Amino acid sequence: MSQPSLTRHLLAWALGALALVWLSFIAVGFQTGMHEADELTDGHLASVATILLSERDGQFVERRDAGSSVSPDLKRHDYQQSMSIVVWDAAGRLVTRSGDAPAPPFETAEGFFDLQLGDPPTPWRAFSLWDGPQHSRKVMVLLSLKGRAKLAWDIAEQVVEPGLWLFPVIALALGLAIRRGLSPLYELSRDVHALDVNQPAPLRPRHPQAEFEAVVDSINQLVERQQLALNNERHLASEMAHEMRTPLTSLALHARALRGTQSDTERAESLERLEFDALRAGQVLAQLLALARASHTELSEAAQMLDLAALASGVVSEYGEVALNSGHELALCTTTSFPIVGHAVLLEIALRNLIDNALSHTPRGTLIEVQLDAQARWIQVCDNGANGDAGFAAPAGRAGPQARKLGLGLGLGHRVVEKVAAIHHAQFARCEPAAGFTTCYRLSFGPSASAAPGDGNAKGTAPSRQHRASGRPQLDH
Amino acid sequence: MRVLVVEDDDGIAVGLRSHLRQQGFAVDLADGVASAWAALRAEPFDLVLLDLGLADGDGCEVLRRLRHSPDGQLPDSATPVLIMTARDEVSSRIAGLDQGADDYVTKPFDADELAARMRALRRRAHGRARPKLRCGNIEIDPAARTVTQGGQPVALSAREYMLLLALVEVSPRVLSRDQIEARLYDWGSALDSNAIEVHVHHLRRKLGDPVIRTMRGVGYFVPAQPQ
Repeated sequence: MSQPSLTRHLLAWALGALALVWLSFIAVGFQTGMHEADELTDGHLASVATILLSERDGQFVERRDAGSSVSPDLKRHDYQQSMSIVVWDAAGRLVTRSGDAPAPPFETAEGFFDLQLGDPPTPWRAFSLWDGPQHSRKVMVLLSLKGRAKLAWDIAEQVVEPGLWLFPVIALALGLAIRRGLSPLYELSRDVHALDVNQPAPLRPRHPQAEFEAVVDSINQLVERQQLALNNERHLASEMAHEMRTPLTSLALHARALRGTQSDTERAESLERLEFDALRAGQVLAQLLALARASHTELSEAAQMLDLAALASGVVSEYGEVALNSGHELALCTTTSFPIVGHAVLLEIALRNLIDNALSHTPRGTLIEVQLDAQARWIQVCDNGANGDAGFAAPAGRAGPQARKLGLGLGLGHRVVEKVAAIHHAQFARCEPAAGFTTCYRLSFGPSASAAPGDGNAKGTAPSRQHRASGRPQLDH
Repeated sequence: MRVLVVEDDDGIAVGLRSHLRQQGFAVDLADGVASAWAALRAEPFDLVLLDLGLADGDGCEVLRRLRHSPDGQLPDSATPVLIMTARDEVSSRIAGLDQGADDYVTKPFDADELAARMRALRRRAHGRARPKLRCGNIEIDPAARTVTQGGQPVALSAREYMLLLALVEVSPRVLSRDQIEARLYDWGSALDSNAIEVHVHHLRRKLGDPVIRTMRGVGYFVPAQPQ
């Protein structure tokens, strides 16, 4: 079965309506024609009968009113004409005459012609004819032009009448047919109008017309993207709420605990925890503000050239003591330079999140390496932990107090990294781990449109180990 | 009352433990699904404070396992569960309640409100509507953590109070020594071998001998008395 088509639907309704009107017109015209023919014939019959009534003993009765003895019903026939007949002999003497017409002149040619007769003169149509070459008798039949015009009007009205209602009927029928034919378009319009930006749902599957296929597909794709974006925003908001509320909850609980009875050790720990949570809340707030201000337009305008390798080096350096205290080995593997147009604050947030997650979800002794490839234009954080989901024996947030001071385990999550990636038109995903690692998360940037021309660093310089911080004694340099 | 706090954030977990211990609760901590389930299978808890977003999984998994555990063995499937969440997603709270959670609080929460909710859950778990417990002329106010006898206040230590509350709540059932220890002490508490006997002795001295009876070889109980 072929796919439904709006064009065919509309055409079917329009042609159907026209056909209906056309058939109605034919039917009415046919009926009118038959009726008029009947009327005309009957009129002729009535006229001839009236003339014959004027004849008596082979002679027409002079000046006899043809209709005087005719019944009123017959006289009122539409097409019955009052014919006047005049007969002359060869010498021009009036032989007989009937009808209402005033006496016409004898000296007229044969055939049809108009005459002005009477006083005041009135127009008459006349037909005159001799009885043959011997010219023994001349007959003239006259008809009032006013009567004939009245008859002509009557016939014309009968003919024109269907034409008068044809146009409005066609307009009405076509209007209804087009409206009915375009009903799928109206349904689509209603469905599109009913779409809710906040609760996006795909268009209902009731638009099978071929013409709508592309439109419906496009709208549904947009709706799907919108829904995905909304869900991402909701999840991100939820993640942010979680990260913000967690230190606040801890703050409140420890503050309340300080009001109660505690040992000196517990009191000291609670105070230290208060300080840590306050700092953590402040840092989370700073990063949330940075993200909140990260509107696309503003960022596009504010993006600037930076060296991602230098940025990564700085971030990794700051995590040195954290890694040391949590028993992790942290390393940086990069080229000498990774030029990119972007936002240093946001990229730093993303990298910190990846490192925080790696520190939080891997056991002590895990190697965590930040790797960059300027040619392939990616940065990734890999670890060789036993399992990213199960081997989190020593979350960074539970490291020693000194470690906490520097390593505020944010863990805003991958959604923040995804947000930063989206702002940089980059892709963020878990990727196949490099040799010697079990887990890798990569931030891949698009083709370089901003790298400085002739930059030797963008020509595939092999990454080299540059920095490593670890609590282990066997560091390699 | 012994409470299991399932929370993966160290600050909240330690803060809750400090606050609840000050309130007289025995508190044990678990930082994930696996450790929480192991704790529930090992010891009876009067209440579980459950965080939904745990490092090794969803807290709802603990709830699901708890509610589907068979009767007559640990964990008790009827153990009240109070969800703690910091997320905005209503759906997760609805899912938690639908899976059998008894109540929820959104972080950050007021510590007193949390304690009140915990007391309410415990009341409901014991089929009580009134906030105070009465046993004869003894009245216990869990909210104020006070005990009166004949209208006169009786000064009790935290352990004595918890022991009396545990016995009155199940009166006239008998609680064995092990059951009493499980209700009063968390894993980190140092426990003398005759600690329960000492507390019972102190309670009898303060409230009178007839209040707590001994069933030799079984345990202790508070006889049912007309209200």
